[in-house]
Amino acid sequence: MKGKILIVDDSSTIRRIIKNILENIGYGDVVEAVDGLDALAKLKQEQVSLVMTDWNMPEMDGLSLVKAIRGSATLSKIPIVMVTTEAAKAEVVEALKQGVNDYVVKPFTPETVKAKIEKFLT
Amino acid sequence: MNVEFINPFIVSTVNALTTMAFITPKRGQPQIRKDEPPNSADISAVIGLTGETNGWVAICLQKSVALNVAANMLGVQKAYIDADVRDAVGEIVNMIAGGAKAELAKKGYTFKIAIPTVVVGDNHQLGQSKNCLYLLIPFETEHGSFFVNVCLETEVKPAF
Repeated sequence: MKGKILIVDDSSTIRRIIKNILENIGYGDVVEAVDGLDALAKLKQEQVSLVMTDWNMPEMDGLSLVKAIRGSATLSKIPIVMVTTEAAKAEVVEALKQGVNDYVVKPFTPETVKAKIEKFLT
Repeated sequence: MNVEFINPFIVSTVNALTTMAFITPKRGQPQIRKDEPPNSADISAVIGLTGETNGWVAICLQKSVALNVAANMLGVQKAYIDADVRDAVGEIVNMIAGGAKAELAKKGYTFKIAIPTVVVGDNHQLGQSKNCLYLLIPFETEHGSFFVNVCLETEVKPAF
């Protein structure tokens, strides 16, 4: 099942890289958000099958976004993959504890992104 | 400066550029500096480090290197430093700091990473902070040179 993917990152570069990777592997239905607040607004408007979010963002960071999604009656089941430079064990454990389904550490390869998302969309 | 700090920044720089920009930089001899001004560059991305360890890390590039880094990351040619190039360089320093942070955490040095700031200007030099030693790591690529500057408080103790 190919669904709509929400990419959340304050970096336009990262959003474009991830979008290009997703399009190349057949996931062309993509929505973008620049931070957690923007992501929540987009989630109200779009039927999203997977969220890929950065951690460190202005306005609302990725961990706060994860908590908001998991605390929502309508959004709580959406799979979330965190895509971030935060690779220390303590951070990974914290993210998983808050409800992140999987983790991609920057820098990343297209193969890593593909493997991580196809677990939730096929 | 503790030599334990040097290698994580070298490794994360090479990893970030090789993986995301398909450019494998060659490292020159790292230098420790105190009062000498840093080298000049055309675009720099600086990211603050705070916590038990305070300071900042910057990647400072010649224009030719920055344009090729951005072009390779984005898949489009870049003729001048625009918003895309600034953002790309900011993301690279983000990855350099993040990679080094993960490695240094294993040695008991912990810090938080801020959001990057990008400075653009031909042949600019970043200002110096007081009470900082600078680690300057020069790199060469096929497109030109860049360096990574790490400034950490002179009194740094591991968490354990």
